[in-house]
Amino acid sequence: MDTGLAGKVVLITGATRNHGRSSAIAFAEEGADLLICTRSSMDLLEETAELAAKSGVKVVTQQCDVTEEDQVEALVKRGMDEFGHIDVLVNNAGWRARGQLLDISNETWDTTLRTNVHAPFLLCKATIPSMKNRNWGRIINYSGIAAFHGSSGSTLKMANLGFTRAVAAAYGKYNITANLIAPGSIAVERTPGQEIPAGHGTATDNIPIPRQGFVEECTATAIFLASEQASYITGQTYSVNGGAHFL
Amino acid sequence: MDSKLTGKTVLITEATRNFGKDLALAFAAEGSNLMLASRDNPEHMEQTAREAEALGVQASTVQCDLSNESQVEDLVGQCVSRFASLDVAINNVLFPMPLQSLEEIPFEVWKRKFDVETTGSFQLFKQVIPQMIQQQWGRVINFTGVDAFNGADVMSSATEMGLVGLTRGIAREYGKHNITANCIGPGGIENQESEGLHPVEPSQRNSIPRRGTPEEIAFLAVTLCSEGASYITGQCLLADGGKHFL
Repeated sequence: MDTGLAGKVVLITGATRNHGRSSAIAFAEEGADLLICTRSSMDLLEETAELAAKSGVKVVTQQCDVTEEDQVEALVKRGMDEFGHIDVLVNNAGWRARGQLLDISNETWDTTLRTNVHAPFLLCKATIPSMKNRNWGRIINYSGIAAFHGSSGSTLKMANLGFTRAVAAAYGKYNITANLIAPGSIAVERTPGQEIPAGHGTATDNIPIPRQGFVEECTATAIFLASEQASYITGQTYSVNGGAHFL
Repeated sequence: MDSKLTGKTVLITEATRNFGKDLALAFAAEGSNLMLASRDNPEHMEQTAREAEALGVQASTVQCDLSNESQVEDLVGQCVSRFASLDVAINNVLFPMPLQSLEEIPFEVWKRKFDVETTGSFQLFKQVIPQMIQQQWGRVINFTGVDAFNGADVMSSATEMGLVGLTRGIAREYGKHNITANCIGPGGIENQESEGLHPVEPSQRNSIPRRGTPEEIAFLAVTLCSEGASYITGQCLLADGGKHFL
């Protein structure tokens, strides 16, 4: 099926590994041009760009701390200069506070607030004018199963759910959709500082599909939600969790 | 039915706003002592405290900005030193903002809303939960809104849903200490307009086609904090005349 993504411009944050890299490659395979960024791992980002460019699309890379307003504005300006429009925004960059409420430091809380809430706000604010202008847009935010299962550390991922619904409600009239992907236990390469302590987060023996998921299974959902065919789906949460939690 | 709230200590944040006064008087009527906190409007808070005391309970007031960690520490410290317990925390936090589209919201305004409502709530419960663990009993109520579920306003949808997440987290993590945490989501209640929020008209989608009253919200809060509600946790109860079904 033609996803209609050829010639679209897709902005993906945190495209250095896992979901970010996998979606960059997948969008490129659909013929979409890419604007990808990372806060600090430019070498990994360039690797992603090389892998994606094999599909013959244009890939622009930029270093950007997506929690800083001026840097987000500079990133989007670069995208507009290079491509003239931005059609799909994948807010992949995220951070999860580990432990229970009383274990979470102020610093960790602040990082999750900035990464999971402020960054999607800044990126939506900067890219929606282009989407409105072309009367078409797709916004994909990432949450996680813990937010639904109950986890103080995922408070701000729930805030992101409320934000996604509000964006969906406000911009549906411009054919802009906003949806959330909530992965369950996925086999990923952990970012330093985001390792899971032994015995946590990978208990998949008793879920309906008794294994960890693959990054590609989330990417497939992202491609679907960004496709032309998903034009009447908005404000929704798509769980990719092997049935570990039913909404 | 006896709520068994007599002699319990109830902390209410932003006691001069939203349903703060109605909540204070409803808990006082159950015989609970009150620790009232508010960012501003101390005269209004004092008056509520005097009205509560007329019902035969003790009431203290503290000015407190929830986004200020040391003020939150001081609030909980004063509560425990005055009453030797903290049994119920009603987080009536509210930082009303005019309705604005996403593209119009300055980043500074967005951040301030989260600092008060979300980070402020995090700070509050970091101080409150250890006391409840020590007592092996606690009730947490957060106020959210229908916006969280219908996405009507971009800032409050995000902060209110964050409070739903925080409530579920506290419920999941501290239930073993007999601490319950629930959310109340009022919609279309009489006094909301006067607090500077955008007006909520009872719409045709309301199953009960009238505005709600603050007393109806206070009754729900008292019920969820009663001894009998000890197996209800992590839930969000909308009191919105049946406008939105979860």
